[in-house]
Amino acid sequence: MSLEVINAPLFATLQDKGRFSYTSIGVTNSGVMDEYSYLYANKILENSLDTNIIEISFSNVMFKSNVNTAVVITGAKCEFFINDIAKRGWQLHVVKVGDIIKIGKILEGTRVYFGVKGGFDVEKEFGSNATTIKEELGGLNGDKLKKGDILPCKSSTFKHTIRLKDKYIPIFKNELVLRVILSYQDDSFQEQEIKKFFSSTYNVTNEFNRMGCKLQGDKIACDINGIISEGITFGAIQIPSDGQPIILLKDRQTIGGYPKIGSVLSIDCFKLAQVKPNCKISFNPISIEEAQSKHKEFYKSFSV
Amino acid sequence: MQFKLASVDSIIIYFGNEINQNIAQKVKRAYLGLKELNLDGIIEMIPSYTSILITYDIFTYDYKSIQKQLKKSINLEGKETNDAKVVSIDVYYGTEVGLDLENMSVCTKLSIDEIIEIHSSVLYDVYAIGFLPGFAYLASVDERIAQPRLSSPRKKIPKGSIAIADTQTAVYPQDSPGGWNIIGQTTRELFDKKLDTLSPLSVGNKVKFNPISKSEFIKQGGVL
Repeated sequence: MSLEVINAPLFATLQDKGRFSYTSIGVTNSGVMDEYSYLYANKILENSLDTNIIEISFSNVMFKSNVNTAVVITGAKCEFFINDIAKRGWQLHVVKVGDIIKIGKILEGTRVYFGVKGGFDVEKEFGSNATTIKEELGGLNGDKLKKGDILPCKSSTFKHTIRLKDKYIPIFKNELVLRVILSYQDDSFQEQEIKKFFSSTYNVTNEFNRMGCKLQGDKIACDINGIISEGITFGAIQIPSDGQPIILLKDRQTIGGYPKIGSVLSIDCFKLAQVKPNCKISFNPISIEEAQSKHKEFYKSFSV
Repeated sequence: MQFKLASVDSIIIYFGNEINQNIAQKVKRAYLGLKELNLDGIIEMIPSYTSILITYDIFTYDYKSIQKQLKKSINLEGKETNDAKVVSIDVYYGTEVGLDLENMSVCTKLSIDEIIEIHSSVLYDVYAIGFLPGFAYLASVDERIAQPRLSSPRKKIPKGSIAIADTQTAVYPQDSPGGWNIIGQTTRELFDKKLDTLSPLSVGNKVKFNPISKSEFIKQGGVL
């Protein structure tokens, strides 16, 4: 019983919440870029919330079902067909042996999540199925999905369908405000530089992948050129000497020597994960107390 | 010891602001102590030259209570310990694999044999691991053979290469672009999925390089 990849996807990887407790030896956390869509996919499937899922970054992935089960897609808005019949996202769909599932063109947003009831039975590597290609860890042989890959899964039966209420389905716009906690080397940025950072609008560049997102806009000057290499957290904003911010994401390197002005709130990085190059980004400051309360609110909403 | 905010769920502890053995010793003591305590709600710890980044579960701690917990848990007092694990790494220091040995010999006015002798006689400390999984920053290299990074990095440094950048030395755990000076090669795996710990090295360990002959290197699986 399995799902089989029957075309050659450009970039689809098996992911989950990530790989933890190995950053001390340079192994990144990895994991889904957009946890909001990931958690809702598992909620709709009534899976445990840390169940693995497939993250699809470019159009056109096809599976043949060798199992009777249920699937869901969340994340970016995209064409979605089961046996050539268009289906909705954010809703559970029953599939039978022989069905062809096609995730077509991505219409809005950039990353689609494709989940199956009970998840894929793939052995974890160092606690996680998250694929990190540069480390050759996780997924199937540490690589992205290829034509002919078999993803084992269990069969399940369903009597009812589950669909997420429209108000919870994200709308993707070409502008995004990210909340930032000033932190790390913020004392090494003059007041007017911090002011500039929060009042400017930045463009998302093409240098945007699972490691990080490089922005372009008003240069931010830092009093120091570099720092002694130190641990980098999810969402950290590096300001290299060219003054253009880089937001570090799931496949970031674990230590680095560029000064950091602060960190984007994790739950806002999930929104960033869905934007396209040229999207307008601006920043708003948030206190640590408020940030932690928002962060808790987010995760609590999935646990009820 | 100074705490600083890092992100919504991370705090960074600084033990000083320069690279030296005394500060590294504090990092090591705090890191190993916290590891030993295995506190609930600590998700990640990344030790480096002067700091430890700690990611915590904010359903267990807030930014105030994590500081309180860390203050209580970290003990920097006590005698120097000399019980660090020493990892011995066999190295073939030959010009076939030590691509920068000849150039270094010219720059330092030392013979290749002297460079090998100086590099392999020091017991190095693991200061940090990063850049690549299992890439350990080792120090300190004797000033006589300290060499700046290449002005133009190589596109591919072979896996197992032993390299020097200023007073740091390291082993490339996999093929990688890089600008360090290559002086030899090992067949030892530095990032190995067969190991429970993934890497034989950890911050706080010591490393000794052991020069071996060409024939021994080939016997161990080395390729020239």
